[in-house]
Amino acid sequence: MKPVSTTRNQAGFTIPEALAYVFVFTIMMGALTALLSSLFTSQAHPQVSYNGRIYEMAPSFTNLRQAIDLHAALATAIDQADSVVILGGSRSHPSLDPTGPSSALVTSFTPTALTAMVGADGFTAFSSWDQRQLNATQFSGNLTTGQGSADFTFLTVQGLSRITSIAQQRRFTMMANGQNVVLYEITHQAVDWSSGSAVLTVNATTGTTPTYFYRFYYLANEDTWSQAPGASHYWYRSDSTWNRNQEGPAKVVFADPYIIAGDDPTAQINSVSRFIYFVSHAQ
Amino acid sequence: MKARDPSRMRDQRGMASFAVLLLAMVSVMLLSLMFYQNYAVYVTSEAFDSFRSQLVEKNGLAQIVKESVLAIHETAVTNSSNSLQTEITNRLGSMTFSSGVAVALNTPVASLPGHTFFPAGTAPVASNAACFSISPRGVGGMGNLLTSLVMLGPVADLGRLTVTFNRTVSGSAAETRTYTVNADLWSVPITNVNMVAYGLPASGQTPSAAPSLASGFFSAGVSRLVCTSNNPSNDPTAYPDLYVPNTPEQLPYQFRNVVSFSWNAYEYVWSSNYQNALLSAAGSSNTFDFSASSNPAIPGVTYSGGTLTITLASATSPTLAVVDSLGGGNVVVNGSGTSGAAFVLLLRNTAGGAGKTNVSFSGNNSRPVLLFAENCAVSFSGSPQFQGGLLIDPNCTITGTVTWFGHFSFYSLASPFPNFHLTLVDNAAVKTALAPLAPRILLVSSTAIR
Repeated sequence: MKPVSTTRNQAGFTIPEALAYVFVFTIMMGALTALLSSLFTSQAHPQVSYNGRIYEMAPSFTNLRQAIDLHAALATAIDQADSVVILGGSRSHPSLDPTGPSSALVTSFTPTALTAMVGADGFTAFSSWDQRQLNATQFSGNLTTGQGSADFTFLTVQGLSRITSIAQQRRFTMMANGQNVVLYEITHQAVDWSSGSAVLTVNATTGTTPTYFYRFYYLANEDTWSQAPGASHYWYRSDSTWNRNQEGPAKVVFADPYIIAGDDPTAQINSVSRFIYFVSHAQ
Repeated sequence: MKARDPSRMRDQRGMASFAVLLLAMVSVMLLSLMFYQNYAVYVTSEAFDSFRSQLVEKNGLAQIVKESVLAIHETAVTNSSNSLQTEITNRLGSMTFSSGVAVALNTPVASLPGHTFFPAGTAPVASNAACFSISPRGVGGMGNLLTSLVMLGPVADLGRLTVTFNRTVSGSAAETRTYTVNADLWSVPITNVNMVAYGLPASGQTPSAAPSLASGFFSAGVSRLVCTSNNPSNDPTAYPDLYVPNTPEQLPYQFRNVVSFSWNAYEYVWSSNYQNALLSAAGSSNTFDFSASSNPAIPGVTYSGGTLTITLASATSPTLAVVDSLGGGNVVVNGSGTSGAAFVLLLRNTAGGAGKTNVSFSGNNSRPVLLFAENCAVSFSGSPQFQGGLLIDPNCTITGTVTWFGHFSFYSLASPFPNFHLTLVDNAAVKTALAPLAPRILLVSSTAIR
């Protein structure tokens, strides 16, 4: 006897129909599961290319994971440093450069030591301004021009002269698909001195330098922050006679590729970066 | 128009049901996707927050250990008689942690090494420190607040003290940690800094401003230390960026080592305890007392016509004391043209306002001498070149011209320089010679490991 379709009889699926549905359903579930799992490894996002590098549109979970890795390494480097040097940002000197933005080191320059500091006066490490002056010969030709307020270089130093890491932040603007976008590039180059000489640590995935990096962009109208990315220098005292060029802690804000909302009920709620440091020059 | 066959629409209901089911599943999956993504961001951020919280926790513990060590052994007028374990426990008890976090000190805590120096005991042998070295132990990684002071001259390594803490979090075994705090102790001669201007009055007030000096007063390589108010209204060199008005003023922790060096140590140096200890070290056989009816014969010391002459080349005692309890005594110090063993010369005037002791230096001196001058009118004649350390108390005045190789410190908010023309020169040999005799400062660097 010829089977009668249960669907047509409004009584349910035939076995072939049920099998077909299960097959299609399995295919769909499998595709969605694959999509879900791939989200965390290679989240598909709009991308733009700038200076030969790929920037992914924020919010980007891939970038967030890279940022966490970078900042865990940077926070550890700061924790183990004897001093830090922060070039760029505002108020690099309270009277000689009260506004800024001051120049940072160009990203192509990767010093592993502050050569002028070998055997020098340790009190000069209380100020990035003093470090800029003392190492002027080494830095000459390697300082940025036309830098923005978000640009800075962050060196961690052991002893007086050994650079253990270099973090850089750069902010660019461009037109992409007819829209103004703001690009952020954050890199961290670790320097391994365990052998007694400086070795640049490569990225575990790419096998090249820098050690860590993340690159992303926001639409220009979304680039609003309660703590603007960049470096701000604060000063206790500037007294060259008594050798007291004493900077206080500097506030350093790295751009966040997966922003969190600010919490200010009395004003417009702007974005907050997870990656804010308030770090003393002399540790 | 041809009407649609109702039986065919009925035939499609199964497919429609499946489509609705599929749509619902897709919607659920997309919502799940968004949920998991947000959850992943939350968890990742939470883990990073926890990482940074632990950095703050461990560094707080490091500071507790450092302050506990200093409470017991700092070169200061007052020290605690508690054990190190008690000091750490007391401080730990006042520390607040995040909800659910508990940190406990692992006991017993090792006892502290001694911090002795002349004249209470023999100071540990000092040698120049290196940033990166196995022997002697390098100071790299101990923080620039320490190395900026330790690298100035010979220091003694008092070793490393290790203290551990257990961290537990209720309901989260994965958050359990052992924090290991390493405290590195260094004995630093006060004479390693070429000039210290200090001034912590008995009232305990923060000095307002540093004594004014002519521009270019210090030549290259001359170290100097002064710690004053951060209030811009007190000190024109200060900026208001991070200044928070408080009474009394609270200096940031960045200045802790400088306060140890330039305030607390000199309060101790000019305390009666230390001054009496120097007097005891000289002993009656090497102490000249202006008010005594008779004095012992002391090599290098002659008294004639109301004037005491000290010939540095001829002194043999490691400590020589001059006491002028009534004031008005006259002392001439003749420098030594040849080098010799360093020694301490104590010029002690306890007469207060009754009169200063007049102390005149003449001739070049190549024999390092550590001079403590209390309530003296010090003068230099003939623009000598002098090696040694000169510490003057708040009641001293000083005039003349001298080129001084070594250490000079004064205890006054006012500059002693209107009539004193000093050229200060750093000299490594003088620092080395004075290191066994100079008061020592205990500097501590504490670092913690997760």
